[in-house]
Amino acid sequence: MTLLRVSDLSRTFQTANGPVHAVRNVSFDVQRGECLAVVGESGSGKTTLANMILGILTSSSGDIAFKGTPLPAKRTPAQRRAIQFVQQNPLSSLNPKRSVGASVRLGLDTYGIGDRADRTRRVEAALESVGLPGDMRRRAPAALSGGQRQRVGIARALVCEPELLVLDEPTSALDVLVQARVLRLLNDLRRDRGLTYIFITHDLAVVRNVADRVAVFRAGELVEIGSTEAIFSSPDHAYTRRLIGAMPVVDDTELDLRNRLAEGT
Amino acid sequence: MTALLDIRDLRLGFRTLAGQIDVLHGIDLAIRAGEQVALVGESGSGKSVTARIILGLLQETRSARVSGRVGFDGRDVMMMSPKERAALRGIEMSMIFQDPTSSLNPTFTIERQFAEVMRRPDRKLTRAACRERAARMLDEVSIPDTGRVLDAYPFQLSGGMNQRVMIAMALANNPKLLLADEPGTALDVSVQAQTLDLMRDLVTRHGTSVLFISHNMGVVREFADRIYVIYRGRIVEEGPTPAVFADPGHAYTRALLKAVPRITGRGLPDVPEVSDDFFDPMVRHGGTS
Ligand SMILES: Nc1ncnc2c1ncn2[C@@H]1O[C@H](COP(=O)(O)OP(=O)(O)OP(=O)(O)O)[C@@H](O)[C@H]1O
Ligand SMILES: Nc1ncnc2c1ncn2[C@@H]1O[C@H](COP(=O)(O)OP(=O)(O)OP(=O)(O)O)[C@@H](O)[C@H]1O
Ligand SMILES: [Mg+2]
Ligand SMILES: [Mg+2]
Repeated sequence: MTLLRVSDLSRTFQTANGPVHAVRNVSFDVQRGECLAVVGESGSGKTTLANMILGILTSSSGDIAFKGTPLPAKRTPAQRRAIQFVQQNPLSSLNPKRSVGASVRLGLDTYGIGDRADRTRRVEAALESVGLPGDMRRRAPAALSGGQRQRVGIARALVCEPELLVLDEPTSALDVLVQARVLRLLNDLRRDRGLTYIFITHDLAVVRNVADRVAVFRAGELVEIGSTEAIFSSPDHAYTRRLIGAMPVVDDTELDLRNRLAEGT
Repeated sequence: MTALLDIRDLRLGFRTLAGQIDVLHGIDLAIRAGEQVALVGESGSGKSVTARIILGLLQETRSARVSGRVGFDGRDVMMMSPKERAALRGIEMSMIFQDPTSSLNPTFTIERQFAEVMRRPDRKLTRAACRERAARMLDEVSIPDTGRVLDAYPFQLSGGMNQRVMIAMALANNPKLLLADEPGTALDVSVQAQTLDLMRDLVTRHGTSVLFISHNMGVVREFADRIYVIYRGRIVEEGPTPAVFADPGHAYTRALLKAVPRITGRGLPDVPEVSDDFFDPMVRHGGTS
């Protein structure tokens, strides 16, 4: 079933130095239960796309439909709850004046999830699921490390029990052990609750291991979309090959594969 | 040869409502002139706070208790006055922060922030000279459209663009020591490789020492001469990069390397989160320091 359909979506920013075409005529579908990775160079429009899907930013033209219904510029609470966001920047996305627990709890209060007594328990459970001690909820964001804040962002989205989760670089600030744990958690949630992910990342090795399909962006345009298998066995677009070719690797088997893919042989 | 940075028995605790939290339990870490050293390890293990202590920032935080020696260029940062420390920052040593949008000032244009940095050692620099030099620095970190970026506010730029701006700013005054806290996390791999190559070029040319904090083991392998691995506030392994990758001696380092996702796609690695031997004594590879 198609959960999200993006049709001919564009966004242009007006700046003092003329218009910036951040996203241009982009169309794709996301199926329920899938993990679609979005990759592409810096400034290619990934976050702008995410912001439009979330309703944080209006589009210049084009449509976004969720479960067959076009999403209006002003979303209903149910629509907002159904699509949650883990933002790229873990510090600036948390209110510095609010404790970690209050930030995570906000969604529960806003959408009336669980009864009052039960919400603190849900907050602690969400923090623990991303590998943070439950009592960290009492701390201020400034008293957390980068990776701890990033995990708070994931917990905050998960407590809302969304259907679609848009993750913008959700594990970039995590060591690979914690990253593996968070990715496994996301995988389990997908299996158990049928969650759907749009996973924006620069880490192609992560993409290789978690995504079903990959969408490649360049300068606001979607240049290639296909199954992870296909992209990592025969990337079509020269730009995709260039992205793969630039990946840092840690062993020789990987190095061989990378070089073969990059050369298109 | 004496080290540019020489940290001995560094300890840090925070006083909180819930009591004292001990974060660093006696860290030794040294960097020679021109050396590129990586600090890798668990999220929350104390990498960023170590960098903030070297910069002299945490010493000024009331809830923090810091002790030990932080030798820099023959002087001890711990013994300096706040004013002396401030005089080093951005000039003798500079930092690329983990979180670019929070360390760039949202209310000033990029041009204005560059000017502020470049005027610290040279108050009389003209506006035109600042703009020209800033444009050149941005060009060196392969930012296209330098005019637009100089006139922009941070929110008008993508995450990766902000990060390159910070790298350019950190190098603007030719520091002796660059502290780079995850300088590549918001960059796509091709720009990241390019930016790090460039950073390496610049630091090699100027003999800048680098403390490089990263979670990307592939990047560390390409960039660093030597590695320190930190786990829960203790250094657990130290050695030249090739030796640590080829023959990781500590259980935590081995688990970390095993957990690196590969493009060969063997699925998500199955490794323990914590294990008793992660608390084993430190492993040092010979032939260094
Ligand atoms: N509010 C804004 N005003 C003007 N230009 C903007 C604004 N937001 C984004 N842009 C521009 O739109 C383009 C796309 O930015 P976006 O943040 O979507 O990139 P991205 O793919 O997420 O990059 P990164 O990987 O670096 O996070 C960039 O050129 C950016 O400068
Ligand atoms: N002001 C504070 N009060 C209490 N604890 C703090 C404070 N600042 C940091 N900490 C704690 O100190 C520890 C070390 O933090 P630091 O930011 O150095 O971690 P890190 O190694 O950089 O992690 P990451 O890779 O996630 O960025 C963390 O567990 C963090 O929660
Ligand atoms: Mg982005
Ligand atoms: Mg950190």
